[in-house]
Amino acid sequence: MEASPKALRGLTWLTAALFAVALYMVLFYAPREMVMGDVQRVFYFHVAAGWVGALAFLVTAVTGGIYLARKDRRWDNVATASVEIGVVFTLINIVSGSIWARPIWNTWWTWDPRLVTATIMELIYVAYLMLRQGIEDPDRRARFGSVYGILGFLSVPLTFLSIRIFRTIHPVVVGSGDPTAEGAFDMTPRMLQAFMFSLLTFSFLYATLLWHRVRLGRLSEKVEQLKMKVLSA
Amino acid sequence: MLQQAPADTFTYMVLGFAVILGAIALFLVSLAVRARNLKRDLVLLAELEKSEKA
Repeated sequence: MEASPKALRGLTWLTAALFAVALYMVLFYAPREMVMGDVQRVFYFHVAAGWVGALAFLVTAVTGGIYLARKDRRWDNVATASVEIGVVFTLINIVSGSIWARPIWNTWWTWDPRLVTATIMELIYVAYLMLRQGIEDPDRRARFGSVYGILGFLSVPLTFLSIRIFRTIHPVVVGSGDPTAEGAFDMTPRMLQAFMFSLLTFSFLYATLLWHRVRLGRLSEKVEQLKMKVLSA
Repeated sequence: MLQQAPADTFTYMVLGFAVILGAIALFLVSLAVRARNLKRDLVLLAELEKSEKA
């Protein structure tokens, strides 16, 4: 793999700096929530991780569509890279939510529409990665991945809307939610700033990780090609 | 009106951030390890290709 381009190195350092500032804002700048206490601070990164998951799966669907139109495997590489990042951040979202829920809802898990739809979404994309492993032919694998990525994306708006259309105890951050939701709170200006900054930071983190992961995918393809060449010689 | 103190949920906060930061760190390590292994494979395969040509 050739050395990282200057822009990628710059982006990596910028993301690291943003992450450090976001961490400071979340832990020290934002005030402690009056009812839930310190655990509410998990909220900033919990939502930001969920946002990255949704964004990553959207990118997978879009790049999958581009692959189907152009048959250029570079787009499939981007789609796979994005799924991998989406799976990691959705898992962070689910686990951090569970930790937040324990003292607030008095349980690690409940069969709430949001928790269930988010977990189904995660499993759909874990299956995407597993099923790809089972397909040898790279073109068939890319075609399958693209169609799956587009269809799988249906789970993302369903997860987003679940707390807005079903009766739920999960609080709604954007817009109004079920009045019976537990753990809802009004954000002070400082909380809102920390929240928006976390979303921005995680967006940068996604872009940085995607770039690195795409380069890794390209390197993997190069190794595969060379392997075929050596074996056929 | 009486004002209640916030709940003591510091331990859960620590656990939450440990999971979040730990998962991100693990993913970064996984990227680095995979890149290192692929680079090794690439060097090895290039040497094999060269020796076969010779």
